[in-house]
Amino acid sequence: MGTSVQVTPLCGVYNENPLSYLVSIDNFNFLVDCGWNDHFDPSLLEPLSRVASKIDAVLLSYPDTLHLGALPYAMSHLGLSAPIYSTEPVFRLGLLTMYDQYLSRKAVSDFDLFTLDDVDSAFLSITRLTYSQNHHLSGKGEGIVIAPHVAGHLLGGTVWKITKDGEDVIYAVDFNHRKERHLNGIVAESFVRPAVLITEAYNALSNQPPRQKRDREFLDGIVRTLEGGGNVLLPVDTAGRALELILILEEFWAQRNLGYDIFFLTYVASSTIDYVKSFLEWMGDSIAKSFETSRNNAFQLKRVKLLINKMDLDNAPIGPKVVLASMASLEAGFSHDIFVEWASDVRNLVLFTERGQFGTLARMLQADPPPKAVKVTMSKRVPLVGDELVAYEEEQKRLKKEEELKASLLKQEEARASYGPDNTSDPMVIDTTNSHAPPDVAGSRGGGYRDILIDGFVPPSTSVAPMFPFYENNTEWDDFGEVVNPDDYVIKDEDMNQTTLHVGGDIDGKLDEAAASFILDTKPSKVVSNELTVQVKCSLIYMDFEGRSDGRSIKSIIARVAPLKLVLVHGSAEATEHLKQHCLNHVCAHVYAPQIEETVDVTSDLCAYKVQLSEQLMSNVLFKKLGEYEVAWIDAVAGKTENHDMLTLLPTVSKPPPPHKSVLVGDLKMADLKQFLASKGVQVEFAGGGALRCGEYVTLRKVGVASQKGGGSGIQQIVIEGPLCEDYYKIREYLYSQFYLL
Amino acid sequence: MASTAQPASSLKRRDVPVTREGDQLTIIPLGAGSEVGRSCCYMTFKGKTVLFDCGIHPAYSGMSALPYFDEIDPSTIDVLLITHFHLDHAASLPYFLEKTTFRGKVFMTHPTKAIYKLLLTDYVKVSKVSIEDMLFDEQDINNSMDRIEVIDYHQTKEVNGIKFWCYTAGHVLGAAMFMVDIAGVRVLYTGDYSREEDRHLQAAEMPEFSPDICIIESTYGVQLHQPRHVREKRFTDVIHTTVSQGGRVLIPAFALGRAQELLLILDEYWSTHKELQNIPIYYASPLARKCMSVYQTYILAMNERIRNQFAHSNPFQFKFIQNLNSIDDFNDTGPCVVMASPGGLQSGLSRQLFDMWCADKKNSCVIPGYVVEGTLAKTIINEPKEVTLMNGLMAPLNMQVHYISFSAHADYAQTSAFLKELRPPNIVLVHGEANEMGRLKQKLITEFAADGNTKVLTPKNCQSVEMMFNSEKMAKTIGKLAEKTPEVGETVSGILVKKGFTYQIMAPEDLHVFSQLSTANITQRITIPFSGAFGVIKHPLEQIYESVESGTDEESGVPTLLVHKLVTVKQDSEKHISMHWAADPVSDMVSDSVVALVLNISRELPKVVIESEASKTEEENEKRAEKVIYALLVSMFGDVKRDENGKLVISVDGNVAKLDKQNGDVESEHEGLKEKVRTAFRRIQTAVNPIPPFAS
Repeated sequence: MGTSVQVTPLCGVYNENPLSYLVSIDNFNFLVDCGWNDHFDPSLLEPLSRVASKIDAVLLSYPDTLHLGALPYAMSHLGLSAPIYSTEPVFRLGLLTMYDQYLSRKAVSDFDLFTLDDVDSAFLSITRLTYSQNHHLSGKGEGIVIAPHVAGHLLGGTVWKITKDGEDVIYAVDFNHRKERHLNGIVAESFVRPAVLITEAYNALSNQPPRQKRDREFLDGIVRTLEGGGNVLLPVDTAGRALELILILEEFWAQRNLGYDIFFLTYVASSTIDYVKSFLEWMGDSIAKSFETSRNNAFQLKRVKLLINKMDLDNAPIGPKVVLASMASLEAGFSHDIFVEWASDVRNLVLFTERGQFGTLARMLQADPPPKAVKVTMSKRVPLVGDELVAYEEEQKRLKKEEELKASLLKQEEARASYGPDNTSDPMVIDTTNSHAPPDVAGSRGGGYRDILIDGFVPPSTSVAPMFPFYENNTEWDDFGEVVNPDDYVIKDEDMNQTTLHVGGDIDGKLDEAAASFILDTKPSKVVSNELTVQVKCSLIYMDFEGRSDGRSIKSIIARVAPLKLVLVHGSAEATEHLKQHCLNHVCAHVYAPQIEETVDVTSDLCAYKVQLSEQLMSNVLFKKLGEYEVAWIDAVAGKTENHDMLTLLPTVSKPPPPHKSVLVGDLKMADLKQFLASKGVQVEFAGGGALRCGEYVTLRKVGVASQKGGGSGIQQIVIEGPLCEDYYKIREYLYSQFYLL
Repeated sequence: MASTAQPASSLKRRDVPVTREGDQLTIIPLGAGSEVGRSCCYMTFKGKTVLFDCGIHPAYSGMSALPYFDEIDPSTIDVLLITHFHLDHAASLPYFLEKTTFRGKVFMTHPTKAIYKLLLTDYVKVSKVSIEDMLFDEQDINNSMDRIEVIDYHQTKEVNGIKFWCYTAGHVLGAAMFMVDIAGVRVLYTGDYSREEDRHLQAAEMPEFSPDICIIESTYGVQLHQPRHVREKRFTDVIHTTVSQGGRVLIPAFALGRAQELLLILDEYWSTHKELQNIPIYYASPLARKCMSVYQTYILAMNERIRNQFAHSNPFQFKFIQNLNSIDDFNDTGPCVVMASPGGLQSGLSRQLFDMWCADKKNSCVIPGYVVEGTLAKTIINEPKEVTLMNGLMAPLNMQVHYISFSAHADYAQTSAFLKELRPPNIVLVHGEANEMGRLKQKLITEFAADGNTKVLTPKNCQSVEMMFNSEKMAKTIGKLAEKTPEVGETVSGILVKKGFTYQIMAPEDLHVFSQLSTANITQRITIPFSGAFGVIKHPLEQIYESVESGTDEESGVPTLLVHKLVTVKQDSEKHISMHWAADPVSDMVSDSVVALVLNISRELPKVVIESEASKTEEENEKRAEKVIYALLVSMFGDVKRDENGKLVISVDGNVAKLDKQNGDVESEHEGLKEKVRTAFRRIQTAVNPIPPFAS
């Protein structure tokens, strides 16, 4: 009767669509990730919309659109209202990513899927956790513990560990095992033998060139273009891999003392870097160390200039430059505009550092061979002028009037409905409780009444005559006079926080106002678009700077984690199938790769119960130490504890414990044994077939290696053969010494 | 967690003869026991040892400032946890790491680590002791940096089975309260903490679990603080009045910690008071300037308010505060506010300014924190008529002196509210003057210990406190073994696997599934020269073993014997027989006996075995067995008689036991004798009969 676990993908299986999965643990529904793509296609979210209201908690793993893009929409339109958990950087950078997405869209279209307010309110409900913080859920999720762990890839990136009754469910996607400039890699040791591992097949087929070679090619390519007088465009995400690229460039520029300009251009560039500077505790060891010892903040950028609108880029000194601009998909944002401008010049270079999302301009350009020309839509928001403006204003006026009319009608209705019956019941009972109300409250009430008197005053049918509101002054008296409430006389605390924080109440204010001003301006404007065909003459290069583990590492990490059950998601059908076959053969027998909305039950068929180990029993147990484990054989009798109905194990009284088959515990490596025997003066050598010839006659063999299933090796079969002689017993003794006998 | 903490006296099962050594938790303050300074607290439980803090005593120098490290063996310490960067909590760390046998791990928060280095480097530079008295040098500090690991608030770490995590403590940037969990027993060490939120720091958090022991600071004992806004108002009012009358304000303060809070207050006050904005505020501390980047970076360790301000601009980038390197750069022309270290006005810039300004009654000196006995700052709080200047001359003290404490330690109200919510059964007071601590203890006892369930302890330095924890060990039975939950009285046998302090019971087959351990089977095959007939071996084996089965080998068709259901003996060729078996102690023994037997037979082969003996009747066998049993019992107990029911009556020292030979039942008044007879009989029986195979 293990913990019941079900996994239902809502988006992103057998393809590279955004990630979103439903994981139910004992009927507590987790939504892990809530991604959307750069097309913001609501049809992708249909499966989510069907379950949104049932969700009890949301876990976010990375601060990019693919992992959290749908959150504002789901919260405002799909009825998602569960508490959300993420790390601080995922929260903060995710928020900035969504701002950037919104602003990029709003600049070129009448984007109305969600508003900035939706983004704010969605992110407001995020509970922030730190790495390895065990957060105990309460209420419906009582007994469930969630903990984020380091995942690499993006700043704040998270592998989620959900624990119930000692069984772990691990959600690990997009992780990176390598240490990078600003991030630590995943620590696979923290997840050993979980009941369920949910991971992705995204990179199962890819292989990465060595990092140094890749870095060199990357920088060489850039420098060559710059030296040839061309510009380099790096389409990047808002606050993800861009950080790593910035560090690479910054470091290289400082090393070579290059004079070319580097710009980081997103709507939120400066605040992104401001926040990133304060996230040192989330970054890699080397960054933290350099700060601790020399107080050098790696993100105190010296070469990279931060820009928040394109005008600044246009005003920049003419000459070759490197621009990192969002979005990576080239579908929107500054990168789109810059691409259109630069694509027709052969000297220029567009360098993709991540695989474009399916169906985006970036993906099209990454095709081999690259298209000669692409059709793009250039849109621009322009202020209304002339006739249009007049028309717009009139329309607005009309609307306003209509609204006013409606409002006043509504008010009348309301007045009739609320004050009518209230007064009819008993006009004398008017809030006696309110008699001590401070004057300002009374004032506003008074205003309310005046309003009624002016246009909504309808004498109640039962009242004899209209009357003014009347307050009864019912002060209490005792032997010493009027009873006073000491609180009334306390000098009010000057609430420091209120007086000083008037700078801005909105928690997530930090928008780059200048950039946003035009878009968010209430000035009437419209979107003008025109399609044009861009001749792609510039060079296009794709290099993998995604910071994900490659196929081989993923396989070895899965094997190391050795889950009892494995669920594969996210990745092309081919990659998913490949990884599934691989894991079936090498990792475990239970590998699932569900389709969208297909629920797989990965409840472990594990039986378990809890017992108390009584003091009497434990005092007789002799542990043998084996690495970090200590093992012992116990024979015990089940009993009940004194006060509560738990099982307890007591030592077997009187009758001797039934004999048991002895167990040899230990992991024998033939090579190690050979060395050990040699050190004991035994002549050893490997004979054919993996047999170890010891001395003259005795042979040792390990057979049945085929039982290597389930991650850790199964039961090893060792055969020792030889004639009756002294050597035989000696070697057997040595062999035994490699094991613990229980 | 199911563990319950009970002091030794209330243990119910005292008669249980088990060793309880492992259940004793010992706490020894090596410093800060009934004193303030050199915080260092040693704790050990179940062979795991934790040291909290590693400070120096500011009033002493050299070795005498260290905690009493010689009381303990540093090499046994697993983890050292530093709560915050103040000298009395962290400054002996380089010494401890570099000059002792300590080899464990050190943890502190990110901001603490960053400031620790700056602060100690500065400390080494300014401390004016001889080289011999130096506890450590800059190199030691740099070396120590590599050994310090960082921990974030709430992050759970595990070292050697010791689990620990920390909460915000509110005292200074990066200050932490550590919760340590060893085998389910939790200990909370507060370090210096404050439950009051201020301008930049969060209040100390309330841990979500109640600890079994709370080691808590008692600096302010039973005193109560003024509300914060009152203190702030007094502070700003004094400054405002002074500067608007053309006076100068001197604020002597320690460079780090509270100074940042004061700067925030001043910067904010200036920004809301336009009329003051042409009056300069100087902050004269190169060290603090260096640390400013730490404050500007670790915004996440501060409170919500600062984080929100950060959304607009970094609040630690002050608008109205200028840095001042030395008095030479200072242009003393008109009203100004200067914050300078040291806080005690012993020497340095704050003293130089004091000497310059003390005679003018327009000027003010605001002392913003705890001042140490014996310093000038302490003296002027009592407003003497005259003071001695640095050059030895006397000068009249005309400037106004204000003492407004911003010290972020918990007062009695906070301590008592904190403990009331936490409800720890054991409270250990540290970090407080003996008198203050005594008063606090009395008050806490009347408040909490009235029901007798709470103990309040105030150990002195090196005085150990011992507590017993009857830790209930819980195990989880998993896998095949757990397919059926046993009823009371049923037996459970399996491998108990312990990792850290968690226990699992499993079947041997499941070992590799649930742990990284693996099991092995060793098959042994041995060839013995034997030239006799194969059938000859069977009979002598039957005399020893109850089960000897004949058979034929499936592959070669040669005859085999399965001895004791464990060892297979097979005729390999005319000259050899082979044996194979799966290694385990019993099989090895059986195989050894078979080998011995076979060798024996080879030697004595000519002897003809009497066939008839094999067919001895059961009865005869039994009779013989009975005789043997009787004889053996007599040799053991002496007086053994047979009674009319065929039972054996054994008398030893007047105690009588009756033994039923058929089923081994023993009747006796005397428990000890009964048990002895029963065991003896059981052993004799196994000896006289052939060995039965296991019922496995």
